[in-house]
Amino acid sequence: MDKYSDPNIFKSFNPSGEIIVALGVVLVLVILAIIVGILAKRADPLKRPKGLLKIAEWAVEKLDAFATDTMGPGFDNFGGILLGIIPFMFICFTIGITGLPTPMNNLAVPLSLALVTFVLIHYTSVRYTKWHYFKRFVDPIPLFLPMNLMSMWAPLLSMTLRMFGNAIVGWVLISLINASLESASAALFSFMGSGAGSIWFVPIVTPVLHAYFDLFSGFVQTMVFVYLTALFIAQERPEDIEAETINVSRKEAI
Amino acid sequence: MDLQAAKAIGAAIAILSAGCSSIGEGQLVAKAIEGMARNPEMYGKLRSSMIIGAALVETCGIYALLISILILFVL
Repeated sequence: MDKYSDPNIFKSFNPSGEIIVALGVVLVLVILAIIVGILAKRADPLKRPKGLLKIAEWAVEKLDAFATDTMGPGFDNFGGILLGIIPFMFICFTIGITGLPTPMNNLAVPLSLALVTFVLIHYTSVRYTKWHYFKRFVDPIPLFLPMNLMSMWAPLLSMTLRMFGNAIVGWVLISLINASLESASAALFSFMGSGAGSIWFVPIVTPVLHAYFDLFSGFVQTMVFVYLTALFIAQERPEDIEAETINVSRKEAI
Repeated sequence: MDLQAAKAIGAAIAILSAGCSSIGEGQLVAKAIEGMARNPEMYGKLRSSMIIGAALVETCGIYALLISILILFVL
């Protein structure tokens, strides 16, 4: 019987290491968020925030400002989802430093992150255009229907492959360089024996590779993902609604 | 032809796209630095948009590397 048509598949739930690490990261972040929530409820609003609460307030302020800067009016509460996505993505990229399996090396993790963006894009489109949502598939003429149906999936595919490709290429290159350095060291220091001779080069070179492929690449990819999410979602809002909202806010200000 | 040799040639052709994307990346950085030299107070904004653009352009090269790795090890 095929593995996926087995009715007992949930009884034999056997996740890989990457999925376990990703779920662990989610668990830690949820606990942190609950702690921050309790701290924020108990805090005195007249005093200066301290410690964890200060960091959380700073992050919320920055992300709300980012959301209003890049996306314009109508997305004032969009910082919340970014606050959830950014730490998860960055930790998933960089957790390989500790020796745990990198969650991004499993296609399921970047795919689900990109699915969040994909669902949000279409949700925003439905929210602003209601039934005219289906007009986007026959735009500009009904002949374009198959092409539009194909290009609907392009953001999902490109975002998934961008994250997955970055993570897996970094991992493959680090493994290749480490393996070759190990054998080079074993050949040079062969008088020490096969075990002790092979450990000399790798610890010197590995930090540089991890700094580039994990830290720098993870940071840039997180930033790019967040920017693209914001821009994709912001472009779903039609222009006239934008002008309307600005007018309303101006009237309220006056 | 030997199967292994054919795979190696295919992977090498696939990785050619990384060279093209690096040309584009070089142009991007050159233009960004030109802009920074003309307008030094925009340095911070230009640098962050340059890094984002470079990451976007780099994606093409990463696709190529992914495809060649898949050809070599999975196909």
